[in-house]
Amino acid sequence: MFKKVLIANRGEIARRVLFTCREMEIATVAVYSDVDRRAVHVLEADQAVCLGAADPVESYLNIDKIIAAARETHAEAIHPGYGFLSENAGFAERCAKEGLVFIGPPARVINDLGDKITARNIMIKGNVPVIPGMIQSESDPAVLAEKATEIGYPVMIKASAGGGGKGIRIVNTPEELQASCEAASREASVAFGDGTIYLEKFFTRAKHIEFQILADGHGNVVHVLERECSVQRRHQKIIEETPSPSLNPELRAEMGSAAVAAAVASRYVNAGTVEFLLDENNTFYFLEVNTRLQVEHPVTEMITGIDLVRQQLEIAAGNPLILSQDDIVARGHAIECRVYAEDPANNFMPSPGKIAYMQEPTGPGIRNDCGVYSGFEVPVNYDPILSKLVVHARDRETCLPRMVMALKNYILLGIKTPIPFLIDVLESSPFQKGQIYTDFIERHFSEWQPRLVEADMARIAFIVDEMNANRRKKTAVLSEQTVSTPFATLGGWRL
Amino acid sequence: MEYKLKINDEIKTIETTAEGDDTIKVSMEGEDVDVAYTLVSDHRIHLNIDGVNVNAFVMDGPDGKTVLINGVAYLVEDVQTTRAKKKGSGSQTPTEVTPITPSVVISVPVDVGDRVKKGQGVVVLSAMKMETTLAAPFDGTVARVNVAEGESVSPGQILVDIEADEAESSAGEDKNSKHEYLNNIK
Repeated sequence: MFKKVLIANRGEIARRVLFTCREMEIATVAVYSDVDRRAVHVLEADQAVCLGAADPVESYLNIDKIIAAARETHAEAIHPGYGFLSENAGFAERCAKEGLVFIGPPARVINDLGDKITARNIMIKGNVPVIPGMIQSESDPAVLAEKATEIGYPVMIKASAGGGGKGIRIVNTPEELQASCEAASREASVAFGDGTIYLEKFFTRAKHIEFQILADGHGNVVHVLERECSVQRRHQKIIEETPSPSLNPELRAEMGSAAVAAAVASRYVNAGTVEFLLDENNTFYFLEVNTRLQVEHPVTEMITGIDLVRQQLEIAAGNPLILSQDDIVARGHAIECRVYAEDPANNFMPSPGKIAYMQEPTGPGIRNDCGVYSGFEVPVNYDPILSKLVVHARDRETCLPRMVMALKNYILLGIKTPIPFLIDVLESSPFQKGQIYTDFIERHFSEWQPRLVEADMARIAFIVDEMNANRRKKTAVLSEQTVSTPFATLGGWRL
Repeated sequence: MEYKLKINDEIKTIETTAEGDDTIKVSMEGEDVDVAYTLVSDHRIHLNIDGVNVNAFVMDGPDGKTVLINGVAYLVEDVQTTRAKKKGSGSQTPTEVTPITPSVVISVPVDVGDRVKKGQGVVVLSAMKMETTLAAPFDGTVARVNVAEGESVSPGQILVDIEADEAESSAGEDKNSKHEYLNNIK
């Protein structure tokens, strides 16, 4: 196993990777930008190297600087986390060239699966069902119009190099097609430097179900069950759970086999995620493979007891999988809520700033993968995720109230968070019934505003606080221990 | 003591009388309640309102206090004090090109001397990977561009000075005073 790993990421995911490294007695190197000097991953790692300016291009996306940091600290491997360089084939290749182990799939796999059209063709060859649509990119409006008619409206325009919802357009009628194609292509060339687009069938009422896969370098592949990720805003997931309320054991087994087939077809190595769309007739289609650890991986860890980061490290070190498909058994239900610095009542606008006070929820079955703390200033430069709150319980019915309770006990002052929104979603009847489609938020919560049912109590709290306004300075002075405890006064007691 | 407290446009008048240490009597819109409280820490107050326990987390802000109860944040404003504060702070209509949240400048698609129409984009910003465009608040001419690409900016900072057209300034302020006003805020 590696003696030292550099974590090329920040915040909660860098800390998540760090925890497993520490359990495995692997030393950790954090990297950081100028604005992240006080970030959790820097404070907790064994070593930390400053990369440069806040702009990701100068720091977390700067391959040369990250490689130099690894060299300087004698790290043997690099864990990229998610986002930033995690799906950058050039980075994986560079690591290999420099004799560093990239903890993720080989550059060839990232390249193949990163190009949506290549990925589609690999899956077609591997007998994995794909969404009806084109198998090559196109720029001729006449051909696109012809293909769209063939596929049948509504169609979805996708960027070949796409990801993160960029370059995606939904077209309902032939009249809108050309303008939408041009806009999508423009957006894609700005976002990815590649304006190539293609068309797929669009499903108005679909579910987003993904399967975790693990593949070692010796040809062993398993899937680690599914995650249901249909609740999304701006094509970004905010609530994930497992098991999916939409799958029965037969469909689960069938989709799991397809996920394994996808891994085999792409000659996958390390941890990855195969995303599927599930339509109203329970027919599933391959969507894409995420060639990295997913944000929502903790729900899988909760129900299977498998530490996915440990698996990644073992695989990257060249060890064979010790898990067989039969070893992977789910117990109970898990839900994750992503807590971002954002304002749910104002179109989820980012809400950066200083966290004046924070109190994390605790209790049976509660896990909070957190990248912030009281007094931390959430920088404007990066993704606004603060933490991922995860709960585990016997079944979905007991899991939901546990999550609601955890959210109510999660105190964050100084920035806006989606906590009240998440509570309302979890308590809503369609969510409780498992009627969750990718249009869930637009359909049920588009004009959401907080329900101010305890406003009178808030007014009373205001008055009590105002009456005692001077106490804030006082308690600051009192923080030196002035109260006598038995431990301080009783002297030589043995406990 | 009388308070007029506003939450989301609803103002309620509340009379309080201190009973003893850590207890008060509250009369809200004719309804009387007994409140006992414990100041747990700087931000946490434990309340017992007519026998019901509530934990409230409170923080001071420029527009009042944020009170967090059971996952919901209430912005509570004392109408009496804020009214006094707001007097003399000038017009409330958005006349400045300033970000609503700390951001980084992506581009400034206008130059000094450019004629701009109300609603035309003058600064493109990015906050946490999300792009927003700030628009000209009125027709006019770009007098000054105060920021460059890549710069970090915060609310209140005037990014672009726009001199209003004569016609537009008939709204009460002449163009010079408006221009001056924008500069003063900076």
